[in-house]
Amino acid sequence: MEKNWKRIVDDIDFRRRMERRSEIIFGIRRFFRELGFFEVETPTLVASPGMEPELDPFMTEVIAQNGTRSGVGLITSPEYSLKKLLAAGYERIFEITRGYRNHEPWGGLHNPEFTMIEWYRTGSDYRAIMEDTERLVESLSKSLYNQSIIEYQGQQIDLSAPWVRLSVEEAFKKYANLDLGDMLDDVERFGRAVRDRGCETNKSDTFDDLFYRLFLRDIEPNLGWDRPVILYDYPHQMASLSRLKPTDLLYAERFEAYICGLELCNAFSELNDPVEQRKRLDHERQERISQGKTAFPIDEDFIEAVGRMPNSAGIALGVDRLVMLLTNARTIEDVMFFPAVDLFGSRKEDSDTKISFN
Amino acid sequence: MADTTVLKKDTFIMFKGAVHQVVDFQHVNPGKGSAFVRTKLRNVQTGRTLDNTFKVSESVDPVELDRANMQYLYSDDLGYNFMDNSSYEQVCIPKELLGDRGLYLTEGQEVMVLMYNGQPLSVDLPKKLIFAVTEAMPAVKGDSAQGRVTKEVTIETGMKVQVPLFIEEGNQVVINTESGEYVERAQQ
Repeated sequence: MEKNWKRIVDDIDFRRRMERRSEIIFGIRRFFRELGFFEVETPTLVASPGMEPELDPFMTEVIAQNGTRSGVGLITSPEYSLKKLLAAGYERIFEITRGYRNHEPWGGLHNPEFTMIEWYRTGSDYRAIMEDTERLVESLSKSLYNQSIIEYQGQQIDLSAPWVRLSVEEAFKKYANLDLGDMLDDVERFGRAVRDRGCETNKSDTFDDLFYRLFLRDIEPNLGWDRPVILYDYPHQMASLSRLKPTDLLYAERFEAYICGLELCNAFSELNDPVEQRKRLDHERQERISQGKTAFPIDEDFIEAVGRMPNSAGIALGVDRLVMLLTNARTIEDVMFFPAVDLFGSRKEDSDTKISFN
Repeated sequence: MADTTVLKKDTFIMFKGAVHQVVDFQHVNPGKGSAFVRTKLRNVQTGRTLDNTFKVSESVDPVELDRANMQYLYSDDLGYNFMDNSSYEQVCIPKELLGDRGLYLTEGQEVMVLMYNGQPLSVDLPKKLIFAVTEAMPAVKGDSAQGRVTKEVTIETGMKVQVPLFIEEGNQVVINTESGEYVERAQQ
């Protein structure tokens, strides 16, 4: 049988890419240290590994010497711990950690364990995080290649700040000719509008489902091909852990960045209302139960931390995808030693990883 | 009915009441909420493609198409006629079902005929085919000065194609059968 480290010996491009990966991780640390951020490490083995109904955390148990077993899981993100650190008084923190998610479309863009960075700032909102993000990526490109224009999978892209900022509402208007503002609290009307544009819908579709049916078909394929796009202000239903816009409660202060078809990050002005936080976690917990998934206990320390957290903003950014972008790698397997997909199946064909939908 | 894992390249599904070929697909997890499969589907009858986003959790309706290697014979009022290379049986596909793809058929061309319930629906063409140019206006001096770099010619099947100015009547040209675009001048 072929050794799984044979590729490392044979493939010079892969070796070079992995050296660049190391430089990128080093560059991320330098970038945040220079901005006065404090690097922290928090557990990956926790009692409440993430309540989002669409995520399947890896579950295991901790066994005490006397044989008592406690159910725990691997984090899907370090968010809960980091917010507790904000409540405890840290003002600028970052963590580079492993996240674990089960039951995802493996190969291409997903590995069961992956490297992510999260960083948080108190006294700021998501606009400061947008600036951090674009400056980070630009600085990494410059330190690797002495320039901010790179090629990704045949596409030239200029990573220099500032990136294009496009609100979700503007994006729907521009690419789908749809006034999202009129639909936000009227799922039926939204469903009709989505159907009118030729999308098949389903009676059980939620607002989010309708949103993504149209978004993935007509909008996302247009984003970030010559310059990165920061897509911001999501409908309030999709707020997740973000706070609503103080000036327009129909939208939440959340953004994602799109570069050459890669969705790089997800960021929020963080929700710091413990009542609303509990409501959302309860709702997600019910959703997990109705889907037959493990329902974790609500982390009460986290709820309390959210109430004591100052106004803050934070982000989760996929480091493997960032490395893919900056090393012109087609798949996540190309930027990691021993990708998990080799354990349980063959690597995927082209069609599932690279696709031309624009 | 089946789950969305059947959505793979070159499978066929019943969608909006018609048989569609999956031309391309991609799994997407937009982060919060459901996971989706983004697809490009081709209606095997009209040849048209459309994009559709399926929720991973919904069911789709796969259809099994039979394929037979056949040779194109001729077209008549009823449609395009093919002969099965193994049984010598002849089948006819109505013109409206093949649409523009009929314009790539030349006598003797081997194609894969796709059948659903015994009824021939469609053909899979080789991606690139060679055709003779039957009508071409000579390039006019000054064309390129005006920024014109292509001209329209007619190929042996009657189809019109944009080609570079140097292509002349009687040349053989390679055409991409998916886009209908000129690829290169064929080696004579």
